[in-house]
Amino acid sequence: MSALLQVDGVAKRFGGLRAVDRISFDVATGELVSIIGPNGAGKTTLFNLLTGQLVPSAGEIRFDGHDIAHLPPHRRARLGFGRTFQISQTLTSLSVLENAMIGAFLHHPALTRASAKAMTALDLVGLAPRARDRAGALTLGERRRLEVARALALEPRIVLLDEVMAGLNQTEVQELIDLVLRLNAGGLTFLVIEHNLKVVRAFSHRVIVLNRGAMLAEGTAASVLDDPAVIEAYVGRRRE
Amino acid sequence: MFFAVGAYTTANLYLKLQISPWLAALPAAAAAAIVAVLLAWPVFRLRGPFFAIATMAFTEVLLALALYFDTITGGARGLSIPFRAGFANMIFRDRLSWALVMLGFLALCLFTLVAITRSRLGYFLQAVRDNEAAAEAAGIDVLRTKLAGIAASAALTGIGGTLFLMSVRVVDPMALFSLFDIGVKIALIALIGGIGTLYGPLLGALLVVPLENLLRAEVGARLPGGNLIVLGLILMLTARFFRHGLMGGLATLARRVTRGVR
Repeated sequence: MSALLQVDGVAKRFGGLRAVDRISFDVATGELVSIIGPNGAGKTTLFNLLTGQLVPSAGEIRFDGHDIAHLPPHRRARLGFGRTFQISQTLTSLSVLENAMIGAFLHHPALTRASAKAMTALDLVGLAPRARDRAGALTLGERRRLEVARALALEPRIVLLDEVMAGLNQTEVQELIDLVLRLNAGGLTFLVIEHNLKVVRAFSHRVIVLNRGAMLAEGTAASVLDDPAVIEAYVGRRRE
Repeated sequence: MFFAVGAYTTANLYLKLQISPWLAALPAAAAAAIVAVLLAWPVFRLRGPFFAIATMAFTEVLLALALYFDTITGGARGLSIPFRAGFANMIFRDRLSWALVMLGFLALCLFTLVAITRSRLGYFLQAVRDNEAAAEAAGIDVLRTKLAGIAASAALTGIGGTLFLMSVRVVDPMALFSLFDIGVKIALIALIGGIGTLYGPLLGALLVVPLENLLRAEVGARLPGGNLIVLGLILMLTARFFRHGLMGGLATLARRVTRGVR
């Protein structure tokens, strides 16, 4: 498998604070990689570096061989990045279909084509029956799926999910896991930031653990989650 | 600002090159759009109050420039258009013709807005207004979308400047750049009517302009400045109770009624 996304020595400093400290990893085409870590580990900073919200202080990010570390988010979207947000960012004044169309316009400038493409994406996430509703009227779980649909409408090569499970109930979490697994089985690459370890165990091919801005461990979900160093970072050291 | 650019462009083309105002409206629109993009380029990088302050500062700068470059603007004395009635000159004796021209312009504005709303640019503008981060993630170039939006708006405003010039036939910098009369009044109309709706500003204009005249006659005559106080109160009340203006309030009402019927 060839590396689709290569992160090479990426660092981000805010003043004296090293939020992300020389992190390197690859994501291969078709993989489903999770990034986990305790609060303040630098997950969100790393994610923002990958999506272009932030510019790295050092290091390279290559996508399909191109250095994209300094490209703004909309240029990355054009290259094939789809993303969701930790705090759901639906466009509330638009309808569900229009939200998905905003993504579809990227490759289909014509209104009718964009709307057809958006409908396909809504169908994938199970929101097609609600296409005409206001996006503001959706439940949190539905909004998350709408964001996934908007990302899919971009016809992405990789999808970055930022804690999509946060705030969802058991059923909604299971629905989203199934959706991600289904899309991944269809060949779509995923990079996921996730808090919920049960979710991470359920679907990751590979897990990267961050702690204090640095990489603490990397491996399969089972091996990483049983690593004493990881457990210590999460729950602290047992008192002797 | 864009109003003034439109007015001066037309005035110069008409007075110096004898180009009919009907034709001059096109370069007036283009000039206003170009000035808008040049000014907006740096200003759109600012946010919140800084954006507002920079916009106001540009108005003052343009006012100073207009006073200085008197070969183009006539300086402080302004420019006056000689009265030569005729269709080609866009100068009319009767008021009805003017009303028709203005209605035509209104139709042009509404048509343009409807066309934009239903286009890709319209969706992009709404996405950018709702949430810039989400718009960017969907591959939208936020700066370019905003510039396209302001260019379209300035072009229409520039044509408005042309019509204003030909209807009053005297323009001077103080009148064109006065912040209250043009800038604030337009904002007031849009705020009361409903920003982000197609017909809100139209409704706002239909209500606010007669109301303002009435207040000036009834309240302003007895208590100088009283009309402005009442107008300010109305603005505060709409902002408090109709966050999306009167049009937004009507839309909510309509939704409630239809739900009741079902």
